[in-house]
Amino acid sequence: MPEIDVALLGKTFGEQRALDDVSFTVGDGELFTLLGPSGCGKSTTLMSIAGFQTPDEGRIAVGGEQFFDASRRLNVAAERRNLGIVFQSYAVWPHMTVFDNLAFPLKVRKLSRKDVGTRVREVLELVDLAPYEQRYPHQLSGGQQQRVALGRALVYSPSVLLLDEPFSNLDAKLRERARSWVKDLQHTLGLTTIFVTHDQDEALSMSDRVLVMNGGVVQQVGTPEDVYRRPVNRFVAEFVGRVNLITGMVARYENSTAIVDAGEAVRGLRVHVEHTLLPHASLTVAVRPESLVVEPANAATYNGTNTISARVTSIAFLGDHYQYELDAGGLALTAQSPKQVDSADVKVHIPPDACAVVE
Amino acid sequence: MASVAHDTLVLPRPRRQLLPAGVLQAAVWLLVVGLIVGPFVPMLYASVRDRPLYEAGGVLTLDAYRQLFSDGAFWRAWVNTIEYASLTTAVAVAGGAAAAILVSRTDLALRRAFGRLILLPILLPPLGLVLGWIVVWGPGGYLTNLFSQRLHIGTLAIDTVPGMSLIEASRLLPVAYMTCEAALARADSSLEDAARSAGASPARVLRSVTIPMLRPALLNSATLIFTLAVASLGIPLLLGTARNIKFVSSYLYLQWTNAAQPDPATVSAGAMMLLLVATLLLLLRNRLLGAEARYVSIAGRAGRNAMLPLRALRWPLAALIALYLVFSTLIPVLGLAVMSVVVVLTPLVAPWHLLTWANWHQLATGEFHRAIVNSLEISLVGAVLATALVAIATLVAHRSRFPLRKALPFVMLYPRATPGLIVGIGFFWTYLLTWGVGSWLRGSIWGIMLAFCVRNLPFAYVVMYPTLARIGEELDRAGRAAGAGWWRTSRSIVLPLLRPAIFSAFILMFVEILCDYDPALFLVKPGNEVIGTTMLSQFIQGTVGPVAALAMVQVGVTVVVLGLGARLFKYGSSSIGVTGGHDA
Ligand SMILES: Nc1ncnc2c1ncn2[C@@H]1O[C@H](COP(=O)(O)OP(=O)(O)O)[C@@H](O)[C@H]1O
Ligand SMILES: [Mg+2]
Repeated sequence: MPEIDVALLGKTFGEQRALDDVSFTVGDGELFTLLGPSGCGKSTTLMSIAGFQTPDEGRIAVGGEQFFDASRRLNVAAERRNLGIVFQSYAVWPHMTVFDNLAFPLKVRKLSRKDVGTRVREVLELVDLAPYEQRYPHQLSGGQQQRVALGRALVYSPSVLLLDEPFSNLDAKLRERARSWVKDLQHTLGLTTIFVTHDQDEALSMSDRVLVMNGGVVQQVGTPEDVYRRPVNRFVAEFVGRVNLITGMVARYENSTAIVDAGEAVRGLRVHVEHTLLPHASLTVAVRPESLVVEPANAATYNGTNTISARVTSIAFLGDHYQYELDAGGLALTAQSPKQVDSADVKVHIPPDACAVVE
Repeated sequence: MASVAHDTLVLPRPRRQLLPAGVLQAAVWLLVVGLIVGPFVPMLYASVRDRPLYEAGGVLTLDAYRQLFSDGAFWRAWVNTIEYASLTTAVAVAGGAAAAILVSRTDLALRRAFGRLILLPILLPPLGLVLGWIVVWGPGGYLTNLFSQRLHIGTLAIDTVPGMSLIEASRLLPVAYMTCEAALARADSSLEDAARSAGASPARVLRSVTIPMLRPALLNSATLIFTLAVASLGIPLLLGTARNIKFVSSYLYLQWTNAAQPDPATVSAGAMMLLLVATLLLLLRNRLLGAEARYVSIAGRAGRNAMLPLRALRWPLAALIALYLVFSTLIPVLGLAVMSVVVVLTPLVAPWHLLTWANWHQLATGEFHRAIVNSLEISLVGAVLATALVAIATLVAHRSRFPLRKALPFVMLYPRATPGLIVGIGFFWTYLLTWGVGSWLRGSIWGIMLAFCVRNLPFAYVVMYPTLARIGEELDRAGRAAGAGWWRTSRSIVLPLLRPAIFSAFILMFVEILCDYDPALFLVKPGNEVIGTTMLSQFIQGTVGPVAALAMVQVGVTVVVLGLGARLFKYGSSSIGVTGGHDA
């Protein structure tokens, strides 16, 4: 049974369509990420699930229980949805100690004093904050405050955890650590989680599945590999990592391979396609920089198919790899490789199965 | 990382609240709107009825309006009122803006001290200050006599329209000061720096950058000051009546109290007209504020403030501001203080030959004593009740999903625009029409308290709203997500965070209720006197010494209470600034 079921959400602010037919389901125990540029409607989606935004259209159900249904004017109050939420600002209550912050949801649920103490300590232990229980939020670092927020969201064993850009206020080093820490915690607890971010690295490294959205419209839903390797459109290709876009014309088909001509230099490029288009249709192919193979012009490998010659216009050394800016007869390409290639004239091989047709 | 079996624990889902939040929100909304708008309904009714509401029978008619509009005195009163309000506005806005620029954008001497002292005239009891002015500068006043008899120099006659507006302007100047100061604090001074590095002289920068930047604040405070001046009653009544200069407010008051046969319908009709004007002015101001908000968002964040050098003018300008404070505050208060301890105040005999404690002794007896006790009582109880109600109403207005919440900010600011006299007439009719409760309220000090609370409730709102706006909404959402309903979230999270502002609002409400008087003029009865009404009626009857002593009590309590909230003084005052500068 899907844990979270969001169907056809729509929301308009004034003239602006903030959500347009947003639908997805999140499986039990899954870490599901909403990824997209700022302002694309991620928070609006998340807050609709949490009950703080009222969409104009659509349905939301969690664990089989209907929370929202615009057509039936059903809208369960936020406080009765029993979801755990970590806000972007953490929203740790400044006038309460760490202990009191975590105790509040339990007091609301009328637990006995003793049970409150036991449960809060248990969760403080879980989020590594046991020594800080009597501190006030302003006496904590950003990372610690974030863990207070997480502890507070977990203390009442919610069925679902919602995280709205939880790492955006942390510095780069801390962010790395917090990511793997949250990922582990989520995994250990087996919590169904929706995670919102605009950072593609974060989305790819943490998620079971990723939903990419733009302008309130879902672009693609899939595993991190899917959205990275097989982006369905130009937006996804460009937003999820660096990409080379090669636009050309289909010359003909050979089974499920399209033969594409893209300008003078790139002729007869073989590209895997799922469905065939009309010959002479224009199409754009996305290739990740690290999929390109760069060899010296005189190397013996890769002769013929999908291999073009190019000139190196610049090389940058980035620690674990080199980045090559190439000029293939007027077509600019970026390639990444751990290997160093010294010659100015190179061959570039474009593996057919590394090409994703994006339009 | 410790691993804990997460799913062993099964907690109850949060329960549905016994009382849905909507019911509480609706109750608070109705109470606030009912208290503020409600009293004007009987007044409107009274104005279109051919006989008073307490008489049975009667038919609807527009006679009262016809009669009022055909009365030349009424139109003369309007002419006087508009002249008075315009002069007041011009002087107060020019002075207030100049002071704000000097204090926040130049290296004026003693600018920090002035920044606070300049607020005094608006914080001290208005009626007491007017009496102080009269005692010192009025016809037959101490300094007036001293100058004319001893030095043979004429002084400005304060019992003329320009004279009266000068007093009013000196009282309302801080309103313009605070609005402009707030606008300057928000505006980025790098705009001015840029003009200076482009070679503009300080005077040029002032003319081309600073003043245009202030335009929304100037318009906004001008509308507010104009409204407050139109509503003013004390000055017209005390200074204008003797010379037969009537203003709309004093015309209506005298129609009611002095006419051989009081005509409630005509007075109510006049009150409706005044209310209409005040409402239009408030609506106008709301539109101006909209413009200002747009402007501010463009201006961006406040930056570091570089001071324009005044050079040789540093001290002369400081002296000018000091002079303003001496005239508007020090001399009236000193005049009252001296007046309260002498038999008579005259330039012919040195005051120390005429010392007496008799005036102060009188305060322990009769009406004076009752007035003090009553005033303290209603100030305390009223401040507590009004602050509590406004705190919750502010949450309903800004932190709830109550469908009609958007009306609350406007409604809560409305009494600020309505003349106190009209609030008084409204409550008078309301109490008459609400049987048991009404007659109990009419017969006790609590009826006066209610009118004072309603009249001054905007102060509490404007103190609380800016603080609430700074409390991130995610904090209460986190409470809701944790399972707490609206009221529980408000009680455990938002209200505790709002506490400093609630305390400031309480202090301010206490002082405002203590110093208020005009809504009570129609409600007061023997036994129910409050300080303001007693001061006014006794002064009109010619009792000056004890009235001065009473005014000193009011000044003293005000200063002590504001001082007690000293840490919050800055807070409170900057929020009154918000009265002028910032509505919802
Ligand atoms: N309360 C609101 N009123 C008007 N517009 C809003 C409101 N909340 C969000 N929006 C608009 O809806 C769009 C989506 O916002 P949001 O969901 O917050 O984006 P993000 O993906 O950055 O979280 C944005 O363009 C934003 O300007
Ligand atoms: Mg967001």
